[in-house]
Amino acid sequence: MLYLQILLNGLLLGGLYALIAVGFSLVWGVLNVINILHGTFIVLGSYIAYFAHLYFGIHPFASVIISGSVLFCLGYVIQAGIINRVIAAPVLMTLTLTFGLDLLLNNAMLIAFTADYRKLILTDSLGSYDLWGLILPLNRVAGVGLAALLTFGLYRLLRDSNIGRAIVAVRMDREAATLMGVRVNRINAVTFALGALMAGAAGSIFSIIYPISPINSGLFLGKAFVICILGGLGSVPGAMIGGIALGVIESYGALFFGPEHSTTLAFVILIALLIFRPTGIMGRKGYE
Amino acid sequence: MKKRALFTLAVSTLFVGLQAVGGSSSVQAAEKTIKFGAPLPLTGALAPEGIKIQRGLNLWMDTANAKGGIKVGNERYKIKIIYQDYQSNTPRAVQTAEKLITDDKVNFLFSPFGSGATKAASGVSEKYGIPTIASTASSEAVYNQGYKYLFGTFTPNITLTQPLTNMVIAKRPETKTVAILARNDFFPLAIANVMKKSAAKRNLKMVFFEKYAIGTMDHSSALVQMKAAKPDWIFATGYLNDLILIRNQMSELGVKVPVLTMVAGPAYKEFIDGTGKLAENITSAAWWHPAVRYNGKGVMGKTENFNKLFKAKYNLVPDYAEASATAAGIIFQLAIETAGTLDHKKVRDALATMDTETFFGPIKFGANGQISSLKPPVFQIRGGKPLVVYPDVIKQIDLKFGIK
Repeated sequence: MLYLQILLNGLLLGGLYALIAVGFSLVWGVLNVINILHGTFIVLGSYIAYFAHLYFGIHPFASVIISGSVLFCLGYVIQAGIINRVIAAPVLMTLTLTFGLDLLLNNAMLIAFTADYRKLILTDSLGSYDLWGLILPLNRVAGVGLAALLTFGLYRLLRDSNIGRAIVAVRMDREAATLMGVRVNRINAVTFALGALMAGAAGSIFSIIYPISPINSGLFLGKAFVICILGGLGSVPGAMIGGIALGVIESYGALFFGPEHSTTLAFVILIALLIFRPTGIMGRKGYE
Repeated sequence: MKKRALFTLAVSTLFVGLQAVGGSSSVQAAEKTIKFGAPLPLTGALAPEGIKIQRGLNLWMDTANAKGGIKVGNERYKIKIIYQDYQSNTPRAVQTAEKLITDDKVNFLFSPFGSGATKAASGVSEKYGIPTIASTASSEAVYNQGYKYLFGTFTPNITLTQPLTNMVIAKRPETKTVAILARNDFFPLAIANVMKKSAAKRNLKMVFFEKYAIGTMDHSSALVQMKAAKPDWIFATGYLNDLILIRNQMSELGVKVPVLTMVAGPAYKEFIDGTGKLAENITSAAWWHPAVRYNGKGVMGKTENFNKLFKAKYNLVPDYAEASATAAGIIFQLAIETAGTLDHKKVRDALATMDTETFFGPIKFGANGQISSLKPPVFQIRGGKPLVVYPDVIKQIDLKFGIK
């Protein structure tokens, strides 16, 4: 039962990890922009959920719509107004730019909200369910369910809608997409905005699980990097598989090697992947 | 040509004159100001703690300056604290401490946050012979380096765990097993190790002892293993972020235990706000609590007065980190006034022989510079407030058991 409980914990953690990475992976894969702002976007989403709950009593699952919309707009403005100007430059340039923007946004949040940890406490918490000795933390289960729904929505959007197909086209061949009449700058902005939307939504869901502070942004960003490399860049299933793999590996790593080394096993596998399969588990050639 | 020479002479005379005036006024200002350096983690992961120390130091500075500053012999000096942010990065704390001494020419120094950074930076103040007070370092390893210029306001960690262990066993004799989960960081690990010693001393069986890495985002595996070990007592160490997450995950995974102790976090209001009802019955120990009562010397006077001034300035109830920072300032002030000089060696000697009482408690340092006179209180969160259960003279409630 212990092993089964740890598997369940790992899957739930992995579901949350997948949501951290999916937007980050999309932006990196399509735009070739390593978005250092991603962790701060997640924290901003958490603050929106926190204040929406505090002042208007809105449940964080419902405020996913608000935080997602706010972050979508913010992401669109940042890409269209700033990053698009240097999008053709080498990746180091855009990395430095998002790093600088992250410093600005993160410090603005430190000034506005302080570094003190806040925690959203649900008055109507779902509690836990004992399923033949297997404990299901229901808030977490619901959060992961919503995360899966959002990720599936993004997956369908990319596959079924015109804008989604345009995003995939830009990812596959930027020049060819331009020649086919795709407005690449607009697609860039929409892609970045979708990445930010997913980060904002993740922030809302995380607000019921993690304490909120601007200083947590680095933690989320670090996980996003690892998941992208594990799962493969630019694809929604890649981020899902990478996230779940990391969650399960960390959970069993904590059991077998102690919590201190929970990430050791994950990093050993990561190094092995980088050597033998640099595209990641689900990645395609050209995105390593 | 002659006119031009006269003009040049006049301008240069004016310039030299202005420089002399400026120089003498800055000399005058320097004569009346004592500069204290404070390298603090004002941004980064330890920013909440760094800001607490800043609050405590500012309260001392403002209160003392309003009363005329520090009396040195027959003169009065204003206090000026120079803050430098080391961004929660320990190697940078060392550089920052050195910069404060060499560039800002501070007279005295406060240590960075926590035992780890304090130990790292203590070599710098020792090298330059600058008396330094650490307001948040408790590990004995910090003080057992043979340094002469480092003093600290926290007693050794064992003074927190031993009274707690004695009390738990006295009130609940059926307590037989302990599980410890510690953040792999200087202080949280040190306190976990002394808890292990305190437990062994009282024949408690250790059924789980594990460390978790800094930045851990999930404790479920450790908690599930702890639950399987069925301990009577869970002792978890870390900082606010970790402990809020651990407590919430304990509840999610149905980990119930008669005694739950967490260090260091429950003394902070943010912990109680962040855990809500789940904070109930958590025990902790800290070096100070607003309920202690001392007839203090120095600008703060009695503990009640310190609480009142702190509340008036920040609209907050002070916690031990904030109180310790204010106390560190007062201790410096008392030592300088006793020495009657700013001479580093003499102030250091005044600190070493100090035997007095402040709002924080009795102040007397051991031979290694660590305070030896404090009796840290044990408290328990009840009804959303940390209330004292030990020592008996300031006890507010009896210890209660059961964590759901």
